[in-house]
Amino acid sequence: MSINVEKLNQILQEFASTTNEVQGAALVTPDGLPLATTLPARMDEERVSAMSASILSLGERIGKELARGQVERIFVEGEDGYGILTSCTEDALFLVLASHQAKQGVLMLEIKRIVEELRSVLA
Amino acid sequence: MELMRLVVTGPVGSGKSTFIQSVSEIDVVNTDERASDETKEQKETTTVAMDFGKLRFSPEFAMHLYGTPGQQRFDFMWDLLIRKAHAYILLVAANQPKQFRYARRILNFMNQRVTLPMLIGITHTDCDEAWETQDIAIALGFSAQKHPPLKIVNPLDHTSVAETLLTLAQQLYEPANHQT
Repeated sequence: MSINVEKLNQILQEFASTTNEVQGAALVTPDGLPLATTLPARMDEERVSAMSASILSLGERIGKELARGQVERIFVEGEDGYGILTSCTEDALFLVLASHQAKQGVLMLEIKRIVEELRSVLA
Repeated sequence: MELMRLVVTGPVGSGKSTFIQSVSEIDVVNTDERASDETKEQKETTTVAMDFGKLRFSPEFAMHLYGTPGQQRFDFMWDLLIRKAHAYILLVAANQPKQFRYARRILNFMNQRVTLPMLIGITHTDCDEAWETQDIAIALGFSAQKHPPLKIVNPLDHTSVAETLLTLAQQLYEPANHQT
C-alpha cells in the first residue's frame, strides 16, 4: 500500500496554520528522510529531517542508558522557541517548531492529537 | 592520562560501526535506525547520529572513538565530531568503486575544517572485485607516491582494528612521518 503523502502534507499544513505559534512541522523517517514537511522558508527539509532523526535516536539511546524508560518526547528549548520531537510510528517521527509564546500544555495536547491523526493515515 | 579522540568516518557500508564495535571496551553507544534509502540495499540499519566506543591501550593512554553517519545529509554530525577530534580515520570499501568519489568528498569536507593526522583504512579487501590499495589512493585524488598512510583493515577483527589505531596513534606522536 502506498502512503498518502498528500493527506500527510494537508494535515501538517492545517496543523501549522491553525495552531497558534506553531512555525513548522515535519514528519520524517527514523533514518532522517522527509515524508511530509511544512517549514519556515529558510529551513532545508533534508537537513531538518536528518537532524530530527539524529536527536531522537540519540535521545532514545540516552533514555535507555540512563534508565529513563520509553522516551515520550525530546524537548529543545531555545531563546527563540521550542523544538519538540516525538515518535509517531515505527516508520515515522514528528517534529514541531513553535515560538516562545506557545502555551506548552496546549502544544503538547495538540501534538498528541495530530500524532494520532498522522498514525491513522500511516496505518 | 593521555586521551585521544578519534573520528571514524567514511561512506555508507565501509565498516565504521563494526570497526568501533570490534575494539570498544564498553558497550558501544550506537544510534542505528532502520534504513529506508538506498542504504537498505546493503544493510538493514544505519547510523543516524554517532557511535561511541572506548579503548584503553595502557593505564596512561586511552582512545575515545566516534563514528559518523555515512550519508551526506548527516554532515552536521561530521562537522560536530571532527572539530573536537585529535585524528581521524577514513574507511573506504575496496570493492565499492562508486563510493570513492564520495569518500573524496568526505575527505575534502574534513580537510576544509581541520588539519589532523589521518589514515585511510581500506576495508572489504577480501571481497570480489576489490581494488588494489594504490589504485584506490589514485581514485581518491592522491598520487601513487604521495598519499596519507593507507592500511588494509578488517573491521570485524579486533587485532586488525587495534593495529590500525596504533598506527594512527604513532603518527600523532611522530608528526614528522605525517604526510598529507
